[in-house]
Amino acid sequence: MGTNVEDSNPRPPDDTSAIQPTGWLGKILVWTISGATPKCRDVVRILSEQMDHDLPLMMRLRLRLHFSVCCWCERYMKQLHYMRETARRFPEHTDEAGGPVLSPEARFRLKHVLNSQ
Amino acid sequence: MKQLSAELFSSAAVGSPTMVPGHGGAQTNPERWVDEHGDCLFRYALVRVRRREVAEDLVQDTLLAAIRSREKFAGQSSERSWLTGILKHKISDYFRKLGRETSFTDLDSLADEFSEKFVPEGYWVHVKGPKEWKPEPDEVVHRAEFWQTMRHCLDKLPERIANVFMLREMDEVESKEICSMLSISESNLWVMLHRARMALRECLEINWFNREK
Repeated sequence: MGTNVEDSNPRPPDDTSAIQPTGWLGKILVWTISGATPKCRDVVRILSEQMDHDLPLMMRLRLRLHFSVCCWCERYMKQLHYMRETARRFPEHTDEAGGPVLSPEARFRLKHVLNSQ
Repeated sequence: MKQLSAELFSSAAVGSPTMVPGHGGAQTNPERWVDEHGDCLFRYALVRVRRREVAEDLVQDTLLAAIRSREKFAGQSSERSWLTGILKHKISDYFRKLGRETSFTDLDSLADEFSEKFVPEGYWVHVKGPKEWKPEPDEVVHRAEFWQTMRHCLDKLPERIANVFMLREMDEVESKEICSMLSISESNLWVMLHRARMALRECLEINWFNREK
């Protein structure tokens, strides 16, 4: 993230990025890496695409580099996998998820159709 | 439900249960399926298609298919998973048919919904950026409230966007296959999946992960 942008966009206490914009070296590193990698708005789109097809090696490296200064995009990637893992298990947990059930009429009709087979 | 008249309700239409021996010593009884799995199958179908009548039809088609193939059910999985597997196929067939009849592409919904999450230069507004998600999936799956929140968040997604997301992430259908099923382009599918993930992530974070703290 550019130095000026950093000043007007404070990092919360839970920022766990490996490289922090503190001290002159940190600021230069963050500024350089931010400039050389896609912006977060694009990173999240690219990360979503990565869930559906392989990305070129160079792009994967640029994303890695981006994560070193941006824990939020890295968390976003982990959360995409989190959602995939849980969504796949949703069908086993439909009972717990609640929601409307079959009406007595629908249940009756179903039984009738099945018994007529 | 299909082609059934009201007269059924006044007649003694429901016959006595017939037990049919399946493989592995399991007993299959379609009427028991309705009592034990009907609500679960219906709820799942409803999350997927959002219309009661369609969900009821899908459950009916599922159980009819199960009757036809019950001899093949070897009891290796639970009866519930077996029936859910058939339902998933029926849902795919339903969307395939719908894809031929209607346009599935939706690039308007959620087009600019999350602009407030980013500064004009394209970086996260750091204080609004993604938070750490705890606990891990293995733990969260045991909490009923999580699944209620998941259902609530899936229900809130725009319909077409939810349809493609669930095909991809619940049924694990490859993106090329979804495109041919629904007659949409791959780039449009990616846009829709991106918006689904962004919106679902936001909803889960607000209603589940942040709520716990």
